[in-house]
Amino acid sequence: MAINFSYFMKESAVSFRRNWVMSLGAIITIYLSLLLVGVSLGSGMLLGQVVESFEDKVSIRVFLKDGAPAEQVDALQAELQANAMVQTIKYTSKEEALEEFKNRLMQDSPEVIENLPGNPLPASLDIDLKDPRNVSTVVEQIVASDSFMAVADRPDDPSKSLEYGQEIVEKLFTVTRIIRVVSIVFVAMLAVISLIFINNAIRIAIYARRKEIAIMRLVGASNWFIRTPFLMEGVLQSLVGALLAIGTLSILYFYILPKLSELMTFLPISMTGGDAAQVSIVLVVAGVVMGLAGAMFAMRRYLRV
Amino acid sequence: MISMRNVSKIYVPNKPPALDDCTVEIEQGEFVFLVGHSGSGKSTFIRLLLRELLPSKGQIVVAGQDLTKMKSWKVPYLRRNIGCVFQDFKLLPNKTTYENIAFALEVIGRSKHVIRTQVPEVLRLVGLDEKMESYPDELSGGEQQRVSIARAFVNRPPLLLADEPTGNLDPATSLGIMSLLNRINKTGTTVLVATHDREMVDSMRKRVIALEGGKVVRDQDRGVYGYGD
Repeated sequence: MAINFSYFMKESAVSFRRNWVMSLGAIITIYLSLLLVGVSLGSGMLLGQVVESFEDKVSIRVFLKDGAPAEQVDALQAELQANAMVQTIKYTSKEEALEEFKNRLMQDSPEVIENLPGNPLPASLDIDLKDPRNVSTVVEQIVASDSFMAVADRPDDPSKSLEYGQEIVEKLFTVTRIIRVVSIVFVAMLAVISLIFINNAIRIAIYARRKEIAIMRLVGASNWFIRTPFLMEGVLQSLVGALLAIGTLSILYFYILPKLSELMTFLPISMTGGDAAQVSIVLVVAGVVMGLAGAMFAMRRYLRV
Repeated sequence: MISMRNVSKIYVPNKPPALDDCTVEIEQGEFVFLVGHSGSGKSTFIRLLLRELLPSKGQIVVAGQDLTKMKSWKVPYLRRNIGCVFQDFKLLPNKTTYENIAFALEVIGRSKHVIRTQVPEVLRLVGLDEKMESYPDELSGGEQQRVSIARAFVNRPPLLLADEPTGNLDPATSLGIMSLLNRINKTGTTVLVATHDREMVDSMRKRVIALEGGKVVRDQDRGVYGYGD
């Protein structure tokens, strides 16, 4: 077996030297398609993190009407507190809201606020949920409750008295879905092209060695002995492509990505070593499968044993 | 060694068959000439024995194995028991004499030790131990055919098939090749030679099976080429 393995390696290397143009074509297409697989996997992971971080920030803000009686506000607060899906509730008075508004958005021109005839900002309740996915359920419950209607800023249009981040999350999900579909289509196309390239490279390798193959058949080399060098060649080509893709992705992940997240501190993007390893394994396995498939396909058509 | 019963081979339906109801028995250790014009079915006969082809009808048994029922993955193991020599030698031009023969052992998984002892031995047998490091294009036609015979015989197969082994060689060289085949036959190997080399067949006085239009028209011991002209 040891003799055989070195024999197969030698044969694959010789064959690569003989038609390196075709082999290079195969390697480059595999490299590109695996690179795309890696980029879409990685960006999928990153987007997942972004979505999660937004989900964490999903809270419901209920605006209260001016002069709502304190006991009714307390009643709503008590009712919400009793809800199993609610984590915490925080009351913000009109004055606090104005202060916050001033500090956050109007630091450069406090005179705008000072010139206001009164305080236009409503008091509010900020409701944090245990699980952000329940946001719409809780919102429905709030809208349906009487104690909410009693204190809502605009009882005529309850939805205007509520604010929550559901739309952002949904938009992000749509974006990830689109990215996923587009990358699947691209990967599929590139996979087909790489299969064609591997197929061609192996076909040429078979043609270049047709005399050896004829003699091997004649003297009784087993079918797998004849086939293995070509299978190995296909796998070798795709492994080289996979390693190149992993190399490029490592540069992206570990050099470009940290720079990006420095620029966009508001987005929590980072790649752990575990994630990177997972992507690498996927790429190697996908590459080997592709190489084997391409080589098998070529042998079926061009190698009669 | 070889048993063909009512074997027919039809390549194209509704055309005359390449072999038509042939029945031939060849015992172990025999030396047999298979003669006939081009297109008489000699090559089909050889290819059927190697199981490169399957017969359309009939049964073929080689070395105790029924080829018509043989699983295709077993075919390589059949061929290890059949040495084969062709008119065009089928040597690899980028390998030396030694490497060409070693290749045949290498690809059936023989160990380096076996290769190192058997290759020089078989080269001595065919009289080429001086040309071990020569490439095929540095050898004469007769020498190349000797290399090819050495490769066919290095694994000591019980059966040696030769398809027009002297077709490309001059009469004197052909004589040398035939006496080499005869020597191999003396070691107990069954030898089947397809040829249309009249003088050779007539001078050797071996069993002759004559094919014509795919049929066995003559099978005689100590025969001659025949075809009364």
